[in-house]
Amino acid sequence: MVAENPAPAPRAAADDVLEVACQEFVELVTEHLEGALPEPVDRAVRAHLELCDPCVVYLEQVRSTAAALRTLPLPTLPAAARERLLDVFTALHGDPAEGGTGSS
Amino acid sequence: MQQQPGLPAVVAAVREGGSDAQAELLGRLRAGDRQAFAELVDAWSGVLLRVALLYVSTRASAEEVVQDTWLAVIGQLDRFEGRSSLRTWVFRILENQARSRGSREARTVPWSTAFLPDGDGADGGPTVDPARFRGSEDRWPRHWTDAGLPRPWQPPPEEAVVAGEVRRELRTALAELPERQRTVVELRDVLGLTSEEVCERLGISAGNQRILLHRGRARLRARLEDVYRGARGEPDDGG
Ligand SMILES: [Zn+2]
Repeated sequence: MVAENPAPAPRAAADDVLEVACQEFVELVTEHLEGALPEPVDRAVRAHLELCDPCVVYLEQVRSTAAALRTLPLPTLPAAARERLLDVFTALHGDPAEGGTGSS
Repeated sequence: MQQQPGLPAVVAAVREGGSDAQAELLGRLRAGDRQAFAELVDAWSGVLLRVALLYVSTRASAEEVVQDTWLAVIGQLDRFEGRSSLRTWVFRILENQARSRGSREARTVPWSTAFLPDGDGADGGPTVDPARFRGSEDRWPRHWTDAGLPRPWQPPPEEAVVAGEVRRELRTALAELPERQRTVVELRDVLGLTSEEVCERLGISAGNQRILLHRGRARLRARLEDVYRGARGEPDDGG
């Protein structure tokens, strides 16, 4: 048997208590991660996450997606261009090791 | 030996103008600390190349813009007054270089013209298929259905063991995003710019930036979900 959906049954909340359902959560997830939600809404989001494992999974997947993007290779300067820049830098600003260690 | 080096150059370079960390880093650079300079070049050139491509049309042009930027940094280092962070200053130089180069190339900057309210998906429908949620008459209205709920990804896609196929899919999906979503996702997630930096680069509001990031990430998440669903067990079969 499939476990019963762990989502919480909406409680008979007082009128001024915000409740967030899963379908709303998935549209608030980025603002939640960015810390951009007004505090009462963010509180409702956190309360939802306490009780809803699938939305925790969804949140983790969004985080994972961003983290996986961070592992993609970045463009780089050609090695020769990089070396040339470092040489120009040294030519203009000197070499602190010069005369001291004699390393080359 | 010089004095004990303080923070890594890339860390000190984001500290605010006038801070001790900035002063220390500037001192090292002005004294010719090649390694500190190399650290900045290696850490930032990827980001600078990507930002340059907002203004110029080819990779070769972007490379030239970035090299010219670093040459300008080298040349102006002694005159930099440290009112902003070093990173902000470098970005400003890059944008000046890229802008003048871009106008020589008569490139239309997409950001100046294309940011219309409902261009490529800043507004729009839900980011998750509504069929995955229960109806409003259900006992648990708008909660996941049993079939629709997201399943954990094992192992997660950011881990090194994950097969190249997952990353390839991610790269393909990224390339297929609408341009403004792709640009924001690249700058934020691939290149690691802060939201403030992205807003400043692109001249968009924080709210618009979040919408584009949200829609872009949601599409990429859905694509990865397809990969994990379609190839259960495959991402970690290397053993
Ligand atoms: Zn939920």
